Amino acid sequence: MKKESSRNEWSGKSRGGALGYLSFVYIIKTFGLTAAYALLSIVVIYFIPFAPKATSSVWYFSRKILGNSRFDSLIFLYKNYFSLGVALIDKTAVASGKADEFRFEFNEPEEVKKILNDKRGAIIIGAHFGNWEVGAPFFDKYGKDMRVVMVDAEYQKIKMILEREKRVDTFKVIPISEDIFSNIFEIRDALADGAYVAIQGDRLTSIAKNETVKFMGADAQFPLGPFIMAARFGFPVVFYYAVRTGFKHYSFHFSLCPVSGVSSQNRVFEKQILEEYVKSLEKVVKIAPEQWYNYYKFWI
Amino acid sequence: MIDAALIEKINSVLSEEFEVDIEKIKPEAPLMETLDLDSLDLVDMVVLIEHNFGFTVIAKDFVGIKTFNDFYHFINSRIDEKGEFPK
Repeated sequence: MKKESSRNEWSGKSRGGALGYLSFVYIIKTFGLTAAYALLSIVVIYFIPFAPKATSSVWYFSRKILGNSRFDSLIFLYKNYFSLGVALIDKTAVASGKADEFRFEFNEPEEVKKILNDKRGAIIIGAHFGNWEVGAPFFDKYGKDMRVVMVDAEYQKIKMILEREKRVDTFKVIPISEDIFSNIFEIRDALADGAYVAIQGDRLTSIAKNETVKFMGADAQFPLGPFIMAARFGFPVVFYYAVRTGFKHYSFHFSLCPVSGVSSQNRVFEKQILEEYVKSLEKVVKIAPEQWYNYYKFWI
Repeated sequence: MIDAALIEKINSVLSEEFEVDIEKIKPEAPLMETLDLDSLDLVDMVVLIEHNFGFTVIAKDFVGIKTFNDFYHFINSRIDEKGEFPK
């Protein structure tokens, strides 16, 4: 499917400026995690009226997709923004060496362990759901490099924070810009070197082809790029999500895409991988819908 | 001088993969526009070259390829380096 101009796409920047992140880094370091959560519980109220585009998309998700009442949707809005804030605080805390304060539960089927322990590269497809970055340091146990494919605008923000905080991140980034051609080679070479390449499978951008798929009972558009690369390059695909299941408690969900691992020129193949991804994503979104962070018109 | 059989093979492979009428593939025609390629289609192009012509490509290989003629010369030069004619 060729790319068509669409308003259903992400701008390339996530909500929340670098200053906001840095403020929370300061609070976590100075007053601890509980103080950061307490501050967050007040700050999120601001976003409900003052982030109208995001609020509108969360409202649509709650009312039209989940079928919640107006009152429940208002609660859902608060929970959604609060969850996003907690995710940002927690990933900052884990990256700052506070992982010991958290409990992590791993749901890794044997077939996934085998792939992750293998010397061959693998494509890890996640989503803007939960808190995948909180689990990134745990991929170290498999002894392979992690390269995270990220839109350049996001990468620049993170880079600024890392430099300001003099921190070294737990993964390398492949920043995707308007000219993605050389990035495609970077991804292929990283896989050929036996690295994991982590990519989010749920963000449309102006540079991507897309495909309409039924997701949570309604038509939604997903980018085809990650799935085309998975289909052509022929590396195993693992779906990975980190769901926050309680206070400082995360559950990591892994599943192996059953139709990956071989290279195919057949254009049906990427759509099969996409369908498997959407099935796996639906399962986790149903567990914690308030941890869905795509703040733009996702459904058609 | 590029072998006519090689040009025929390249045209046939490109026409089939990118679903373009083979008559539109002319040496001076622009490659990207004629095949209606975007960056992600180049993933297909990379794999197609590796599968059909037996060599690995890197990003800089594509620098300067504007027309089909440029593409024929690129494939031909890499095959010459390998010393094998594609079957």
